[in-house]
Amino acid sequence: MPGRQDDGPRPLVLLADDEEAITANLAPFLERSGFRVHVVHDGEAALRAVHDRDPDLCVLDVLMPRLNGREVLRRLRADGMWGPVLLLTQVGEAGERAMALEEGADDYLNKPFDPQELVARIRAVLRRARPGRPPLSAAGTLRSGRLRFDRVARRAWLGDGELTLTPKALTLLDYLLTHPDELLTRERLLDVIWGFTTPVGTRAVDNRVAELRRLLGDDAADPTWIETVSGLGYRFCAKVETAS
Amino acid sequence: MSAPPVSPPSLQERRPLRALVLQGAVAPAALGLAVAAFLRLRSPTQNVYTETRLWIAAAIAGLLVSAVLVAVTLGRERLAAARTEALVTAGEEHRRFLLRLDHELKNPVTAIQAGLANLPASGAAASVSAQARRLADLVADLRKLAELETRPLERAPVDVAEMLTEIHEVAVELPGADQRALTLSLPQAPWPVGTIPGDRDLLFLAIHNLVVNAVKFSHPGDRIEMRARDEGDHVVVEVADTGIGIPGDEVDHIWDDLARGSAAAGTPGSGLGLALARVVVGRHGGSVWVRSRVGDGTVMGLRLPAA
Repeated sequence: MPGRQDDGPRPLVLLADDEEAITANLAPFLERSGFRVHVVHDGEAALRAVHDRDPDLCVLDVLMPRLNGREVLRRLRADGMWGPVLLLTQVGEAGERAMALEEGADDYLNKPFDPQELVARIRAVLRRARPGRPPLSAAGTLRSGRLRFDRVARRAWLGDGELTLTPKALTLLDYLLTHPDELLTRERLLDVIWGFTTPVGTRAVDNRVAELRRLLGDDAADPTWIETVSGLGYRFCAKVETAS
Repeated sequence: MSAPPVSPPSLQERRPLRALVLQGAVAPAALGLAVAAFLRLRSPTQNVYTETRLWIAAAIAGLLVSAVLVAVTLGRERLAAARTEALVTAGEEHRRFLLRLDHELKNPVTAIQAGLANLPASGAAASVSAQARRLADLVADLRKLAELETRPLERAPVDVAEMLTEIHEVAVELPGADQRALTLSLPQAPWPVGTIPGDRDLLFLAIHNLVVNAVKFSHPGDRIEMRARDEGDHVVVEVADTGIGIPGDEVDHIWDDLARGSAAAGTPGSGLGLALARVVVGRHGGSVWVRSRVGDGTVMGLRLPAA
């Protein structure tokens, strides 16, 4: 819920990971970062905890005993529970990406990660969350002004004209549209496009953003969609809606 | 002292490099134990419990890397016995190994990073965090390598001259590059080097890695030359330096995973940069090679199909 961590009760985070060395160190860190934390070590316990405690956000590892994180998420969504979920895995290969769309996680973070990065993602997801409604990341088609993007067919239109985008530019557009109004660092976008980061690769991100801007006719100095955050990265600055 | 071109990775002969991998295994073990010792030696604070957990975790992480490397080296040697009929299988086995290694390492490294985040800020904590970051980067690089062997490539015309110009621009900003004469030469006659079909991001990374290597293994005042030429149905890109050179018994292994030549001691790096270049070039249907003389320098090259 917007602003909740600033002026309301501290958000409750459900942390599900079977590695006790991780939860024992991560839970206190999250608590010091302003969250309440409930730890479970398997998928079934995670499902029970969601029903019993109604957390504000779930952090689910994928490989867990009894029920893996993906299955937990699938069951939650099948029950119409759309609370924010952050999966601890990688969104990378095409197959995984299709699965990601189907399961509707709000964000992904691959291990090993910097705990500060996890906190930043949790805050961003909480800010974006639309209580009781599916996240943008679970939508099939998204619209932002004249831009329309069919995430299943991976096709994009500007007004009536279809855009011809390279696969990586499509992936980038998908991520921008599902993470509006959030500072996305070059490193993170590179991770999205490539599944890994490398210092020189951030130029690749700049090239793809330039490609998107060119096709959208977006002026970097006065952007409608993609804003440059000087020295840091980019932000999708337009309103994004689910289109049927 | 020349070496034959290295063929694409999926078919590349995988040598049972026990000695090499054992050397490679020493680094993570030493790193893990160093982190462990460091944490152990720190004077106890209010966070004794966390620190104890941390040094155990660090030690386990380091030993884990070593144990897995050694175990799989032995496994790979057995595998090598059947390699005449199973070169492709060996490539697949190798990829699975890298993914297994990633899987086994990522949890302990995540735990170490989370534990470090709980320590009060200090020079010591920052120093150990930097080491944990190195381990995290190593894990990420191993995963990268495994994924590159199979992930679909984006194939679009890549303007070689334009790409090399950009690599040169980036490379002159590398630490130490300003103390070397780093040049790019692109022939214009009888015609300029054209385009090749490929994934520009990956080719960029591969060639950039060759230049990084040349900067690392040369001294201030040395020359580093980047150049490209058209060979009809292929384009050849070379990175040559007047640096320290590679001993003859190491030259064949520089493209291997975690290869760290004797000169690399004390030089930062995961030992995966050239392996990554080899995989990228192999995926494009090309080959890599190296020629080197100790004391004189090294030339590393890529040969990529032009269509």
